[in-house]
Amino acid sequence: MTSKKISVGVMPLGNISEIVLQVIADHIASCFKLATQILSSMEPPDVAFDERRLQYNAGIIIEAFESIHFDNHDKIICVLDKDLFIPIFTHVFGEARQGGTCGLVSLFRLMKNPDGSTPPEYQIYERAAKVALHELGHLLDLLHCEHKKCLMHFSGGTDEVDEMSLDLCEYCSIYLQDKRR
Amino acid sequence: MDKKMSIMVVDDEAIVRESLFHWFKKYGHVVETASSGFEALEKLETYPFQLLFVDIKMPGMNGIELLEKVKTQYPDTLVIIITAYGSIESAVKAMRIGATDYLLKPFKPDQLSLVMERISIQKRLVTQYNYLKGHLEKITRFDNIIGQSSEMEKVFSLIPEVAQSDTSILLVGETGTGKELVAKAIHAESLRSHLPFIAINCGAIPESLLESELFGHQKGVFTGATRARKGFLEVVSGGTLFLDEIGEISPKMQINLLRVLEEKKITSIGSREPVDVDFRLISATRRDLKKEVAEGIFREDFFYRINVIMIEIPPLRKRKEDIPLLVEHFLKKYCQETTKYVDHVTRDAMELLRRYEWPGNVRELENAIERAVVLSKSRTLGIEDLSFIRPPDLQFSKNLSLRRMEKAYIQQILEENNWNVTQSAKILEINRVTLHKMIKRYRLERP
Repeated sequence: MTSKKISVGVMPLGNISEIVLQVIADHIASCFKLATQILSSMEPPDVAFDERRLQYNAGIIIEAFESIHFDNHDKIICVLDKDLFIPIFTHVFGEARQGGTCGLVSLFRLMKNPDGSTPPEYQIYERAAKVALHELGHLLDLLHCEHKKCLMHFSGGTDEVDEMSLDLCEYCSIYLQDKRR
Repeated sequence: MDKKMSIMVVDDEAIVRESLFHWFKKYGHVVETASSGFEALEKLETYPFQLLFVDIKMPGMNGIELLEKVKTQYPDTLVIIITAYGSIESAVKAMRIGATDYLLKPFKPDQLSLVMERISIQKRLVTQYNYLKGHLEKITRFDNIIGQSSEMEKVFSLIPEVAQSDTSILLVGETGTGKELVAKAIHAESLRSHLPFIAINCGAIPESLLESELFGHQKGVFTGATRARKGFLEVVSGGTLFLDEIGEISPKMQINLLRVLEEKKITSIGSREPVDVDFRLISATRRDLKKEVAEGIFREDFFYRINVIMIEIPPLRKRKEDIPLLVEHFLKKYCQETTKYVDHVTRDAMELLRRYEWPGNVRELENAIERAVVLSKSRTLGIEDLSFIRPPDLQFSKNLSLRRMEKAYIQQILEENNWNVTQSAKILEINRVTLHKMIKRYRLERP
C-alpha cells in the first residue's frame, strides 16, 4: 500500500498471548506494507491506573511511552488486556493521537460480544488486528472515515468492529499514499 | 458537504480538554480549548467557532452563565453542555436557555458520535435553508432593497401598486441608490414576471451601437453585420425593458423610442418589415429631466411618455437610519461569498459609517463593506478596517468651482477604489473610456 520505510514495533504490556501479537504484526505487515517486529514485554505505568474507575487512563500510558525513544522503530503499538478509558468516555478499545508515535490496543472489551457471550478465539484476534490497524492509521495521520466498511471508520461497539473490513477505503488509501510521499 | 467544524472545548480540567481535543482532531475538525468561560468569550471574539463543548461546573463563570452569554452575543453558535450524573436539573435548564444537546459524563464514545452526527444534519439543514431562502428572495423580489426608513417604506408601498399595471415608470435617483433593483422588483411583482427582464445602460453604449442593440439589424447592413440579429425590443417579448440612464440618449433615439412606445412596432435596421413588440418600459435617470425639458435639451413628448409614474429613490444620506440594516445585509452577503466570517461591527465603526455622507450611495456602502470583509482579520469590523473611508471634506467647501469640484471628486473616488478604473467608473456611472479621458484632462496621478 505504501513505500516509505517506517518500522513498527508491537509491544505487549503485561502477559499477552503470542498469537495475538503475531496476528497484529502480520496484519500490519500485509495491510500497511511496513516492517514489523514483536518487542519484549513492558508494564503499563502504575500512575495510569485510576482507582475510582478501576480502569487504565490511555492518555497517561501514551504520554509515558511517547517519551521513550525506540531506536529501531518509528511507531509502537502497545497491546494490553486492561480496560482502557480516556476521561469523559466510559471506555475505549484503543487510542492513538494524530501523527503520534504510540498507539494502544486493549483486548479487555474485545473478548466479549455486546450480548455478553464469548466470541470464538479467531474473532478476538481479528478484532485486535482491526483496532491495531485503526490506531496505527491515526499514527500515520489518517482521520476517521465516514465509509462504514473502512478500517478508519469509528467503531463504538464490538459489533461495529466486526462489521469493519481489514482494508482502507479508496480515499483513505490515496490520502495515506499522498501523506507518505 | 464538508462535515468539518470549528470546535472549542471549554473545561477547567486540563485532562478533559486534552481528551476531547485529541478526539476531535481524529475527525479533522478545527479544535481549540479554553480553561474558563472568560477565555472562551475572548477566543470567540476573534474566531467564529461553530460548536462549543462546555462543562457545566467551572469556577468563575459556570457553563450556564457562559451559555447565556454565547446565546446572546453569538446566537448561531451551537453549545453542547457536558454535565456529571446527578445534575439533570442543570442540563434541563441549559436546554431551555438554548443548548443544542447535553452529555452526561462519562459517556460512551458512540454517544458523542451520535451527537456529532445530529449536529452535522442540523448544520446541513440550516445551510440548505439559508441557501434556498436566499435563492428564493433573489428570484422573487425586493432582493437587495433594504430599508425601514419612511422614505423607503414609500418606495416599497409603491412597488406592488405600480407593478400590476403596464404604465411606463421613471425611476429617479442618484447614482448607486438601487434603481435597477427597484426595476427588477417591479418586474418580479408584475404579471410579466415569468418573462424576460432586460436591462440596458444607455449611457454606456455609443449611440450607433445602441440603435442596433435595441432595434436589431439585418445581415450586411453595415460592416461587421455578418448575420441578422434581433434587437432587445424584440427579444424582451412580453417582459420588461429597463433603460438605465435614459437621459443620456440622443434626441434622434428619443424620437425612435417614442414611436415604438406609441405604435408598439419596430423595424430593424436594414429591414422594411415592422415587427409587433410587447414590453413594459421602466426607465431610470439621475438627471433632472424636467429641467432639461424646460431647457429644451430633452424632448417633452418623450419625457411624458416615459414618465407616467415617477418613483423617487432617496439617497442614502437621507435615510441614514437604514445604514445598520444595510451593513448587516452586506456582511452576510460577503461572508457567504468570501467564506470569511465577520458578523459584528464596533460602535465606533458604525458611527463612522453613519456619519459619512455616502456620495456613491448604497453601492459605495456595499463596496466599503466588501472591502472591509475581505481585509478583516477578525470577526468584528473595527474603525481600523474602515480607514479608507474619509469624511468628504469636499462637499463642505463652498468656494470650489464646478471644474475643481469634479476633479477633486474623481480623484477621491479613484483613491477610495485603489485606482481601479473599472470600479471607479461604475461608481461615477460613466464608462471607462470617459474616466480615462477625465484622468488625462485633469492630469490626475496615482499618489
